[in-house]
Amino acid sequence: MNGQPLSRALSGFLFAAVMASGFTVDGMAVAQSVQPAPASTVADVRQMGADARKDIEAYTTAGGAAGGADHRAIKWAAAMWQVHDAAPNSEAGALAALDAIRLLVRAELWDRAHGRVESLGADDPAWVRVASAVYEEAVARKSFDYAVTTLTRIAAATKTPTIKSAALLVIGRVHRRQGDLPAATRVFQEARAAAPGTPQAEEADGLVYEVAHLSVGLPAPAISGKPRNARRAITLESFRGKPVVLVFWAST
Amino acid sequence: MEEVPLLKALHAKYSNEAVILGISVDISVDRVDRTVKSKAMTWPQLADGKGFDGPIAKAYRIDGTPELFVLDRAGRIFARPGSARQIEAQLQEALARPERP
Repeated sequence: MNGQPLSRALSGFLFAAVMASGFTVDGMAVAQSVQPAPASTVADVRQMGADARKDIEAYTTAGGAAGGADHRAIKWAAAMWQVHDAAPNSEAGALAALDAIRLLVRAELWDRAHGRVESLGADDPAWVRVASAVYEEAVARKSFDYAVTTLTRIAAATKTPTIKSAALLVIGRVHRRQGDLPAATRVFQEARAAAPGTPQAEEADGLVYEVAHLSVGLPAPAISGKPRNARRAITLESFRGKPVVLVFWAST
Repeated sequence: MEEVPLLKALHAKYSNEAVILGISVDISVDRVDRTVKSKAMTWPQLADGKGFDGPIAKAYRIDGTPELFVLDRAGRIFARPGSARQIEAQLQEALARPERP
């Protein structure tokens, strides 16, 4: 894909998306010479995302501005949205919608991102993932009103428990970020109750724990053990009186 | 791991006034020992070889690295630096506070 013009890079995907969606293609010569493309897979969407990021990086490196009307994220997002629309109930379709919105958010194309978000029906499976992209948008803009308004509306309108739970999780995260810990805990608990036994409920449990045990100002959870590089065991408690920096790390 | 030089500098500068405690989430303690030695990480290093499933990693809800916490003199969570670069400013703030504010 390196060095390939955007139009060519995109047309392959658009063509695959169009074929997958069952539309006919003008020009029999073209149609006959190409096998009908299989529906886009998760791997296709991931590849598309990787290609999009490379292409967008080239655009920004060449001086392309965030928020620009000629930003390449616009075309890539449109191509991904076709993949979503061709198979909205598939994993690939949901991922494509998520990635389209992420690309628009990272390009600071807020209105376009909102337009895509709002075009999703309240029971579109993509919401389970897109809810977190709406949160990313809010964090990037340091403005949470849009996320709260949109996700409150979706949580009320959807008939899908996991979507309701995913929307509530984001609303809870906003409360947590704004320092309203009681409200965060209440909404996380609502999120858990909305979809028992799902990954969303598990995430809600984790977030309730984080608020209760890992918020700024709370006593740090106990630590004890013998360091690999010391003779005697230590406890966090024994460091009382000095600030401590905890570094969780892994070899690379 | 790119944070190691920064941590070394912090350890050298603040070792009398503050503690740096490493907690490895590697799934091999031998690997931890090799890394600690080869990178000359001289501050205390805990490791149980259980990855993200170890009791400390679970208590702190660690699901990626690096993950950083600054604790105040009373052992309370003071800050969650987003990167190693942010540690020093937050550590200085923690140092400026008395144990019982």
